Amino acid sequence: MCFGIAIPVSDLPEELVEQRSDRVAARGPGELRELRFTFRDPRPELPLWHGNRLVIYPWGNRDGRVRLPRTGWCRRESLEAGLWSHLRPEAVDIPAAFGLEKGVWFLIEEGIRGILVRDERGGPHAYMLTQPASHYYRIMTRHPRMPVFLGWQI
Amino acid sequence: MGRIVGHLDADCFYVSCERVRHGSLRGLAVGVLGNQGACVIAKSYEMRAFGITTGMPIWDALPLCPEAVFVKRDFQWYEVLSRRMIEVARRFSPTVEYYSIDEVFFDAGGMTPADARTLQRAILDEVGVPVSVGLAASKTLAKLASSSGKPFGCVSALGEERLRRLLDGRPVEKITGLARRSARRLAPYGIRTCAEFARADRRLIRRLLTKRGEDLWWELNGAAVLPVRDVPALRKNISRGGSLAGAVTDPDRLAAWVARNTERLVEGLDRHGVFCERLTLILTFKDGGVDQRRATLPVAAADFAVLYEAAVRLTNACRPQGRGVTYMRLIAEELTARRHAQLGLFDRPDPRQKAVAVVKRTINEKVGRFALRSGATLPLADVYRDEANAYDVCDIYGKTCF
Repeated sequence: MCFGIAIPVSDLPEELVEQRSDRVAARGPGELRELRFTFRDPRPELPLWHGNRLVIYPWGNRDGRVRLPRTGWCRRESLEAGLWSHLRPEAVDIPAAFGLEKGVWFLIEEGIRGILVRDERGGPHAYMLTQPASHYYRIMTRHPRMPVFLGWQI
Repeated sequence: MGRIVGHLDADCFYVSCERVRHGSLRGLAVGVLGNQGACVIAKSYEMRAFGITTGMPIWDALPLCPEAVFVKRDFQWYEVLSRRMIEVARRFSPTVEYYSIDEVFFDAGGMTPADARTLQRAILDEVGVPVSVGLAASKTLAKLASSSGKPFGCVSALGEERLRRLLDGRPVEKITGLARRSARRLAPYGIRTCAEFARADRRLIRRLLTKRGEDLWWELNGAAVLPVRDVPALRKNISRGGSLAGAVTDPDRLAAWVARNTERLVEGLDRHGVFCERLTLILTFKDGGVDQRRATLPVAAADFAVLYEAAVRLTNACRPQGRGVTYMRLIAEELTARRHAQLGLFDRPDPRQKAVAVVKRTINEKVGRFALRSGATLPLADVYRDEANAYDVCDIYGKTCF
């Protein structure tokens, strides 16, 4: 799967970085500043392109009071089987430069496919699309599923 | 002034290539992973600082550098930049040897260290890859010089004082072509550094390390005996293979790997325009065992059917049942240029097989590599599904070394 993502702050609008300054982290010896989003965050969120705008919405559902699948990921197989149809999912693109799974940070070329659904109050929630992991991804991260990538596949 | 040889060596080439198209990797600890996604095959200097070495499995590298970013290898992209590097070098020198994917030797006659700096700058500006350059009187010295200047150095070993500085105290293992075993043979004679090797008695070196060692002795003493080749010499052997993505116990899957490596080998033989008369198979097992078998073919051949049959026979002779094969290599030896090949008196080429080979080659050239392949490879659908598996470093032709 993909437990977290990161985007260099240089690739993001300044006001968005300011709004989410608590998410800024510095990576490695070069101290590259980036915005990090993980599902373990107190308030998990995902950035996504929605209507030509880069927005940040709640990542899936960890709140028992919201009547949506209690996960952060949507299996492509279940989406294609129509199991999410009642939620009227919209396809969205999640921008990401790096992904994180089981402690391994890996390069993402363009981003990850996702869906956007709304809860009973109309609140938006983003889910990351997943698929069975390729051999390469499985060895690299030791996880049997991987995100549906935009562009170059791992 | 005698001959001057230049050596150009890209700094952490695979990582630099990734940084050309992914600027966000600059300044980070970056590791490029090999064909299975398990081992680090290239690392940035930032990653090296954490003690991560080439060949280290990712699970050993992670605790040393948890913030590292790992990248899937892409040899097709690396070849694009490698060839761009050669093009730039050709503007500076009439004779350029494509030594390996990230290294070039060139005739540097008349070139000054300032010219070498200009070449280095041109490659950085036009290709985006930092390189180190060495100038010296021989290939071996030029390679030592570029290596001593890494990263992004430009070192001249021309002149006695510069040469002394290069060789003094540098371990003899740093000489390309001198394996660790050779170094162990030299140690009892007090030869541990490059300077001691160059000062040693030539006849002693010949006795200990044969002609190959003597060639290196001459090279280290400034006499160029290894030519800068702009055309690769005819190969002595062609090999294809690698890790099998886990321990293979299923006979059909093992046969599929044999078929895949045979098809890749046939491509190599076609590309070099040669037949082979001998086939060697090396298998490595999960229990650590290694088996090597060799067969002489009835007639010099480059046909899939002939080579596959021989390779399957060799595989079965290794009795792989239940042992878990982790690595396979097929080596075509005793190569003959096709125009000189002797036809067998009794085993005439099968025209149907020949027609199939032509159709296969034509379709694959047009549609994509492995689009049409042997049915025996069907159990490897997962391997073929990943496009990155279609291209390996040995598929880059024209190099004089690996």
